Amino acid sequence: MKTLSVDGKTVSVESGTMLYDAAVLAGASIPTLCRHEGLPHEGACRVCMVELHRRGTVRLVASCMFPVNEEGLEVRTDTERVRAARNFVIRLLLRRNGDSAAIRRLAAEENVLPDGRLPALEKELCIRCGRCIRACSANGTDALGFALRGWDRKTTPPFGEAAATCVGCLACAEVCPTGHISWEEKDGHRRIWGRDFALVCCEHCGEPFATEEQLAFLRAGHPSDALSPEEERFCPRCRRIRAGQSFTLEEVKDR
Amino acid sequence: MPRSCDTLSAPSCPDLDAILARHPAHPRYLLAALQDIQAAFRHIPREAMVRVAAHMGIPESRVYGVATFYKALSLVPKGRKTVKVCMGTACHLRGAPGVLEALENALGIAPGDTTEDGAFSLETVNCLGACALAPVVMVEDTPYGAMTPARVASMLEKERDHAV
Repeated sequence: MKTLSVDGKTVSVESGTMLYDAAVLAGASIPTLCRHEGLPHEGACRVCMVELHRRGTVRLVASCMFPVNEEGLEVRTDTERVRAARNFVIRLLLRRNGDSAAIRRLAAEENVLPDGRLPALEKELCIRCGRCIRACSANGTDALGFALRGWDRKTTPPFGEAAATCVGCLACAEVCPTGHISWEEKDGHRRIWGRDFALVCCEHCGEPFATEEQLAFLRAGHPSDALSPEEERFCPRCRRIRAGQSFTLEEVKDR
Repeated sequence: MPRSCDTLSAPSCPDLDAILARHPAHPRYLLAALQDIQAAFRHIPREAMVRVAAHMGIPESRVYGVATFYKALSLVPKGRKTVKVCMGTACHLRGAPGVLEALENALGIAPGDTTEDGAFSLETVNCLGACALAPVVMVEDTPYGAMTPARVASMLEKERDHAV
């Protein structure tokens, strides 16, 4: 366990805990965009910056990926310097992604106004946080990546073509903080990243819950990830209900 | 026309297998392999990216990301020689825009393009680090310092002889 102070409050956390998690534990609130608890952290958005006092020096660090590895760190989450750094990033985001509800909400929460000196630019939603890429990579499909660089950087399937290794699972859209990734569903098909996927419906409730390609990908992967043929017929919710029922009935039988 | 080796099976094409064999099957050799492919093919063919990904065991999306990230790598065929015109501050002040215009007229292409015969590609760069020689033009590894629009024709002639 390592002890640190966050805005004057003392907390103890497991060694290796990220500053963000330690700060939240201490009751601080830090805005984030690219951070997702289920994904590796990348520190791409720079919205979660905090002031770190360590061994006599003071500097700004991205709290989402700075591990607490030593005793006596001191963190400030709401100083002038932190607000200036945060607000600068939010102003840049407002300029390019002003149409995004998530960015506007964040700006309102942090009391940031659009920079009047600079005209608003393209009305696009993608903030290049890389969450979709990390999610796709964590799934093992790796159908997405960044292409180009600087201003032109964008998330795209390889070669700018339809995503060959995509299984249509929507993990990318699920983790996207701004709703940039769009898809269509009609007539039992889902269209995303330039490809069509056949939806699989639950035999019990009739709701679509996966794609054929997604189930095939799970079957081909690690045995512990694969669903049994029985499980593949029902959506996760109905699966739980059925599991619960069989469990209770067996309990009754045993008695 | 710039030679295109998109099928990679034409006899005139460099040997991709030999290039791949030079690089161990580890992600850290990705950029080195792509540089060799760029040098041999004058661009990174799509099929080469697929083969590199399979060889190194990395996703195609990452290979594509690296291939599009670096300016030294190109997805479309480059000329046999690349003419880089420095547009840095010192070169700019000493007349680089005039030199660039003369090159554009002499080659009949805009920066970023390649001539019909595949001899030259034209590029602008932000600084070559040789400000004392301003304005500088670089053809492959040869620097031409204190360039003037008048010297463009002779420089191209000299480089064209080498190119054949």
